[in-house]
Amino acid sequence: MKLGYYFGGRASRLVPYLLLLPGMLLYFFVSLGPSLATVFYSFTDASGLLGAPMHFVGLSNYQEFLFMGQNIRDNADVLVRTLEFSFLVTVIQTGLGLAAAMLLNQRLAATTVFRTVFFLPVILGVTIVGLTWTLFLYPVGGPAEKLLNLLGGRSEFLGGPPFQAFLWVTWVQIWANMGVTMIIFLGGLQTIPSELVEAARMDGAGGWQTFRSVTFPLLTPSLNTNLTLAIIGSLQAWQLLLVMKGVTNGTQVLGLIIYAIAFGRTSANPTSVAMRQGYGAAASVVLFVLVLIIGMGAQVLMRQRERRVLG
Amino acid sequence: MKGLPAGFSRRASSSRVVMFIVLLALAAVYLGPLLSVVNVSLQTSQEFSLDPTALARQPQFANFVTAWNKANFPLYLRNSLLYTVVATAVYVLTAVFVAFPIARRYVRGSGFLFSLFVVALFLPYALIPQFQLMLRLRLYNTPVGYILLFLVDPIGIVILVNYIRSIPRELDEAAAMDGSGYTRFVLRVLFPLIKPALASVIVLHAIGIWNEYVTPLIYLPKKALMPITRGLMVFYGQYGNDWTTLAAAILMLTLPIVALFLALQRWIYAGVLQGSVRG
Repeated sequence: MKLGYYFGGRASRLVPYLLLLPGMLLYFFVSLGPSLATVFYSFTDASGLLGAPMHFVGLSNYQEFLFMGQNIRDNADVLVRTLEFSFLVTVIQTGLGLAAAMLLNQRLAATTVFRTVFFLPVILGVTIVGLTWTLFLYPVGGPAEKLLNLLGGRSEFLGGPPFQAFLWVTWVQIWANMGVTMIIFLGGLQTIPSELVEAARMDGAGGWQTFRSVTFPLLTPSLNTNLTLAIIGSLQAWQLLLVMKGVTNGTQVLGLIIYAIAFGRTSANPTSVAMRQGYGAAASVVLFVLVLIIGMGAQVLMRQRERRVLG
Repeated sequence: MKGLPAGFSRRASSSRVVMFIVLLALAAVYLGPLLSVVNVSLQTSQEFSLDPTALARQPQFANFVTAWNKANFPLYLRNSLLYTVVATAVYVLTAVFVAFPIARRYVRGSGFLFSLFVVALFLPYALIPQFQLMLRLRLYNTPVGYILLFLVDPIGIVILVNYIRSIPRELDEAAAMDGSGYTRFVLRVLFPLIKPALASVIVLHAIGIWNEYVTPLIYLPKKALMPITRGLMVFYGQYGNDWTTLAAAILMLTLPIVALFLALQRWIYAGVLQGSVRG
């Protein structure tokens, strides 16, 4: 397709290129280039210190991360925990976001107030959310403990067994991001013609039946968007874990150990500042491959379902 | 056509009550943690150690004064404001000049360039090479280096390109006929026309910078350069047991963000929606 350029002749045709250049160069040097260079660094022993020599080490970073030494058990645990985290976040966040959007779409009272309340944590960011929940989960007579006791439960929250602490942070991650899922579903609900829903109800379909046979299939595009964002986002998420638990054994996910390897304490030796950036880059590539495999797999399944549901 | 089944409306209205109660319960789950921060920020430390959930009997506004003075807030806030404003302004200006010619296909390879921004979500984490770059450019631990990291945001470009595509090309032609040059057109005609998309991009980008926690942790070890998020965590490290003061500090940071959110939520929702539509 050849479309006209209206702003003058030969020389002035260069103006768009010149003005595009700053933004494009920034993108290449700050984001795209470094992103691709991760693969390059993964074959080196680069450190985080200025002027330290750097050598090519072939595949030894990958060998160490995947197959060697005492790390291998730790790393396998981390990998499994990353998948657990991603699965829980994706399923619960999507379910909760859908439920919230459906409820807000019923034209009940104070809908916009509820929407604001549910979205609020997205705006507050990991520091405020992390500290707020650390306080809410205060182990000695804190609000969450009181509530849990009322229901007959107990928990040691963030100070308890690692897996328990991990599950609490997982919940906070869901709590913090559900608003985005909800907004995307609400956007999808607005595109569904209300006549379709009304027609189903006139034919005697109940609320649940209408949802299952009309609303939910028509929400497929929003559902796919939400699942994609949640899967990729949760596989790469780790900042809330850092704020609420720091770098501690038993609660780490892949993103967090990449940070720990490249910029500070390792799980094996919590006091040393290792900054093994080549090794960290190899772990980043492993995470990237994981995102790619799971992301692609999910895309294929979603396409299949879309074809089945929407025809 | 069948009429509504008998009892339909009564059943419907009772189910609406149930739905409203569910919404209230969910709202409690969302407001509970925030309200307990408010409560603790007003307690005396004695009240807190006896029962963190007891309502503060006499609001201790002194907690806020203590937090403000001890937490170095004026310095950290100034840093956060500087980074956020400068990076957002430069980003938006460069972003429009990237998005416009791509949307209009005024540059060769527009489709390819656009796809580079669309796939950004899936690319490997740039964390480590980015750090190596900053180290080598001697921009580690400097405000310039820190700001440089936030002059890029692929989702903003995607939002802008999609929005500009909805603005008729004839406008470019008409303006050019009137003798307007390219730069003048973008700055004088296009900017006002894409205000809704700009507002979303600006607000989302600014929030992202303001809330950033890990980047300053990595790049700005010098205390005098830290933004407020880092400052708050440093304060937490030092006064981890002094929850009444800490809650006051958290609240002082939360309230202005909530106020801004209430004013700007329209643009934020629009941005989230537009950003989720790709290609």
